[in-house]
Amino acid sequence: MAALSSQFGDLVEIKKQLTVIIALCRERGLMHSVKWASELAFALDPLPMNELPPPPPFTEEDAQDLDAYSLAKSFFDLKEYDRAAYFLRGCRSQKAYFLYMYSRYLSGEKKKDDETVDSLGPLEKGQVKNESLRELRVELSKKHKARELDGFGLYLYGVVLRKLDLLKEAIDVFVEATHCLPLHWGAWLELCNLVENKEMLKSMSFPDTWMKDFFLAHIYTEMQMIEEALQKYQSLINVGFSKSTYIISQIAVAYHNIRDIDKALSMFNELREQDPYRIENMDTFSNLLYVRTMKPELSYLAHNLCDIDKYRVETCCVIGNYYSLRSQHEKAALYFQRALKLNPRCLGAWTLMGHEYMEMKNTSAAIQAYRHAIEVNKRDYRAWYGLGQTYEILKMPFYCLYYYRRAHQLRPNDSRMLVALGECYEKLNQLVEATKCYWRAYSVGDVERMALVKLAKLHEQLNESDQAAQCYVIYIKEIFECGELMEQVELSTAFRYLGQYYFKNKQYDDASICAQRCCNYNDAREEGKSLLRQISQVRGQGETSSSDLSLPFIFGPLSAKNTPVRRMSPLNLSSVTP
Amino acid sequence: MASVHESLYFNPMMTNGVVHANVFGVKDWVTPYKITVLMLLDEMTISTSITLLDRRRLNKLILPLLQSPDMTLSQLIKTVEDSCPQLAYTVHLRLQLMADGELKDMEHFFDMLPSPFNETESEAHKTSVVGLFMRHMVLAYNKLSFSQVYKLYTALQQYYQSYERKDSPTAEPAEDTDMELTNTEELGGKMEKEELDLEPSDDEVSTRGPLSQKQAEYFLAQQAYLLKNDENKALDPAALQKELNNMLKFNPDFAEAHYLSYLNSMRVQDIFNSTDSLLHYFDRLILPGGDSKSNGDEGCGRSLRYAALNLAALHCRFGHYQQAELALQEAIRIAQESNDHVCLQHCLSWLYLLEQMKGSDSTLTEHAVKMAVHFCLPYLASLGIQSLVQQGAVGGKTANKLMDALKDTDLLHWKHSLSELIDISIAQKTAIWRMYGKSTMALQQAQVLLSMNSLEPVNLGVQQNNSEAFAVALCHLSELHAEQGLFAAASEILKHLRERFPPHSQHAKLWMLCDQKIQFDRAMNDGKYHMADSLVMGIAALSKTEGLYRKALVLKARNQTTEAYKVLQRLLLYCEKIKGTEMTIRVMLSLAELHWSSSCHAVALPLLLRSLAVSREYHLQYLASECILHLAFSQLMLGIPEQALNILHMAIEPILAHGALLDKGRAMLLVAKCQIVTASSEPSKQQKTQALEVAVQNLEEAGTYFTKVDCKERVRDIYYLQARLYHSLGKTAERNKCAMLFRQHNQELPSQGVPLITRL
Repeated sequence: MAALSSQFGDLVEIKKQLTVIIALCRERGLMHSVKWASELAFALDPLPMNELPPPPPFTEEDAQDLDAYSLAKSFFDLKEYDRAAYFLRGCRSQKAYFLYMYSRYLSGEKKKDDETVDSLGPLEKGQVKNESLRELRVELSKKHKARELDGFGLYLYGVVLRKLDLLKEAIDVFVEATHCLPLHWGAWLELCNLVENKEMLKSMSFPDTWMKDFFLAHIYTEMQMIEEALQKYQSLINVGFSKSTYIISQIAVAYHNIRDIDKALSMFNELREQDPYRIENMDTFSNLLYVRTMKPELSYLAHNLCDIDKYRVETCCVIGNYYSLRSQHEKAALYFQRALKLNPRCLGAWTLMGHEYMEMKNTSAAIQAYRHAIEVNKRDYRAWYGLGQTYEILKMPFYCLYYYRRAHQLRPNDSRMLVALGECYEKLNQLVEATKCYWRAYSVGDVERMALVKLAKLHEQLNESDQAAQCYVIYIKEIFECGELMEQVELSTAFRYLGQYYFKNKQYDDASICAQRCCNYNDAREEGKSLLRQISQVRGQGETSSSDLSLPFIFGPLSAKNTPVRRMSPLNLSSVTP
Repeated sequence: MASVHESLYFNPMMTNGVVHANVFGVKDWVTPYKITVLMLLDEMTISTSITLLDRRRLNKLILPLLQSPDMTLSQLIKTVEDSCPQLAYTVHLRLQLMADGELKDMEHFFDMLPSPFNETESEAHKTSVVGLFMRHMVLAYNKLSFSQVYKLYTALQQYYQSYERKDSPTAEPAEDTDMELTNTEELGGKMEKEELDLEPSDDEVSTRGPLSQKQAEYFLAQQAYLLKNDENKALDPAALQKELNNMLKFNPDFAEAHYLSYLNSMRVQDIFNSTDSLLHYFDRLILPGGDSKSNGDEGCGRSLRYAALNLAALHCRFGHYQQAELALQEAIRIAQESNDHVCLQHCLSWLYLLEQMKGSDSTLTEHAVKMAVHFCLPYLASLGIQSLVQQGAVGGKTANKLMDALKDTDLLHWKHSLSELIDISIAQKTAIWRMYGKSTMALQQAQVLLSMNSLEPVNLGVQQNNSEAFAVALCHLSELHAEQGLFAAASEILKHLRERFPPHSQHAKLWMLCDQKIQFDRAMNDGKYHMADSLVMGIAALSKTEGLYRKALVLKARNQTTEAYKVLQRLLLYCEKIKGTEMTIRVMLSLAELHWSSSCHAVALPLLLRSLAVSREYHLQYLASECILHLAFSQLMLGIPEQALNILHMAIEPILAHGALLDKGRAMLLVAKCQIVTASSEPSKQQKTQALEVAVQNLEEAGTYFTKVDCKERVRDIYYLQARLYHSLGKTAERNKCAMLFRQHNQELPSQGVPLITRL
């Protein structure tokens, strides 16, 4: 279990800190941080009257600036940023100064967005800049050097630096901000977006507070280090944050990322119960419902969200998924387009739209959509995978290899890419490469349980009957262990092959067991019977079966104690499929 | 939180999930630069005082101005000043008025622009280039929204002010026309210098601001053309990539930029980026419906086929032959499914090329060429013929047939203006003549190629292109010069090659090999075997067989006979397998020489006869004469000098006409040796003296040849022989002189194991 900061012992103290920071952030208009902190505070028990923290100290400067600040704050809340900045010009208190700089920054951002729509031509679009960034940077860096910035000021300085693409400096400033004011979630979140890999994370030093654990859990989720993230979240829940919707949603997303669908679904259902009007993350939820083809649930979710707010990206994605599940792909594409109009940087929608176009057999549009997704985020493995699939459908197995390889690079432990790669190699008649892929797919934990059968068939083709038999044995064992009897076709082929294999090797007992199993399946019944006949014929000739390798069946009375599967451990196989 | 201020922009150009950059025909828009150009055009139509010469210069200027990326005002004004200073001044004045004035001045300007629709007579006719440009501009201006107009005006003011700021410290050239007229020359000189300073800085390139669609297209076309024809004139890879990335950042749908990025990555052998760009290009290219009509078949499938084909080409360039083959198979399959014979034909030629590169001997059938002609693909057809000719040449077809075929393709080329193939054809002729050992003809063909004007329209100062054909011809040229002992000229040519084909470029290997071979030969001649040995590694890296052969030569020269023999035997087997006739013969000759060094002259004879037969069969005249030289030497050593002299007469003529200096020297030396031996059997003393004198003369000639190629050992031996001859002739003075020279040389050189007398 991941060790948590010792401060978690005192939840009351944490609650107090949260209350204070909520007030501070609210005064400065940092609404998202307020939201996060409030959500967390809500999950903790309410404080008694006498425990409530005192309001932050009120200095002389604050008093002087009070009127200007109140006026400006009201303008700020009404999104009249320039006006707010104007009235805050001369203010000297930290609070007013932050609001002054922040309104100038937001005003620049707003103008930039407006300009983008109104620019002279498409090629100029990328050139639109927030004009005020440069001035803000100069002023803030002066203050920074003079050490006059408080935690919020540092945060704003970091944001400005990041917007100017000075990422290194930005990271340093954000780290400083977290040291200065550890309770401000915004600074941590910015770091989450800037830290690229584990090494980078290790090299940084963070203040040792309870916030750090939230940060680490969050960044583990971002970096797809799901195990660690889940551990962290679990221990946070154990400490007393069990009611936090934030944590629940994060856990649900983490489960979704490792494709643990059942657990993710249950988490989302819990989330929906606690926070029925929540829209965030609901697109992920709908993805899960889609994968499980839970039509009524998805329909309910879609209608519900549409009632809450139909002009949200998440809502559009959910509705798109809903239509997609109903096979109304045109409408689905329409909704994904709408989502993109609301936010063109919404990556999931591009990929999903690509899937829809694939369903509509509009390969070129699908390719375009996937390409857009990749442009937004080069690390989107689903888009690469989608591109690969598209070209596979166009019967270009060699061409799609590149795309699958890219997807595989991004998700080295995802069996689907490996199986896809293996299939391509198989089509290109490069069987050795294909066996490598399938074996690897099996080793990393095959989701669709197809890798082994394919591997076995490949070994059959390569005339490596021992390996093929081994694969079938492992396959059958896995299927029976799971208790799922869906893929009967493959099971019957497995038994059929094993029957023949044992028969050839003169292990008649095992062969007859396999033949009997064959008779349970329609398509293999005849062969099973004929094999049984052959066996009895051979035995009739008086040969005693030498069964040194008995059959590995959990269900058969014969082999309950003696399962050769143990002997044929996967390690054996790895020597033949390098 | 950050996500609040993420830019939210709506892309109006998206329909049906596919972004079309040109839904509204937004190809061009108004910028301050373009307003200035409009002013210039307006002034040109109004003003009557421009002289005819100036007007012509201005007219020539218009197209580049319209197409090029936006220039700064100072650049623009200087360019115009070059043609007509007076007009530049007027334009400057008008711009100043507008920039210092009010917004209404700009509005007024656009109102007052001559409408191309009314004036049928003027240059601004609606269908003319200028008229089209004006219409584009007026249209784009009218589309601007309220805030955009104001933005444009402020941009114009900034445009003008930045010029003013830049100019104010210098002597404000535009203030006084008179001063300017007197100072034009000086100004011109200054400007050129400034421009030269400005050109290469890539900051200039990237800060030029966004390109409009048209400008971007022109930029891409220009760079692609340069990449193809004269790589060194194009932007260097890093700068070009920067520019392309810039372009793609603002307009990711500009698929052609991806293709150029692919070409650019190929320049620096970056497989990762080039694959990425190539696939990206084709992903972008695959557009639905729209294109299909123009192509005549379904557009999507077509680009798919060519995508696979291009991928094959890419892998082929990087030497991944297996991958290339797989990609090619894919292309062939798709092409077959959709009955695209043209694509299939392309695939076929690639397939052939691939097989050839893999070293297996596949044959492109004549049938394929006929098919290409049938589908009206002159390029592929003549490429096929050229391949056939190459095969024929290596396979020993008669020269007249080959030349005939080449002549036929030449007809085809000139008919279809396939300048690239003309170059290849000439380079091929050079190579064939060289292979036959006709150095004069080879020299002539190489010169023809080099002094030929390219058929491509001569623009951008590109005179010749940097195709493989040129590299081949230049390499041959330098080798030919080196053979004749003109090492300075050869290295000059190599220097030029190095400039034109920088080491990272595709054809650089050709000259690298050539350079090392020349150096190796020089080192061997000079007896510096350690130097030659160090070069062997470099040669082996570029060509395996050549490296092995040279290694054997070094071993042989160092008297490591056994090792040399082993290497040569291995090489012989290999060459026979890949049917490298020339190399086989060379190896056999070297083997024969090895036999000599162990004094088994009789054993060498069958080898030599076999190589003579082979070289005659393949019409390799040069190697044939080489064989005869060897044969003659063997005969001499076996004690039948008369016979040797007899067959030498066959070889001496072609060697003197076409051979390398070293070979000439060797031939003359051998003749002299034979003469000396036969002289001893002459009956009368007078005849004997005469024969010896002839021999001395021949030795003299051989000596001059050897001196030219720095063959000091051989020169020393010549002196020795001469001294002996003079001695037997009784010419003491000459004898002493030669003996002294011999002594000088002998002191300089370490003595070798093999006395040169018993060497060819």
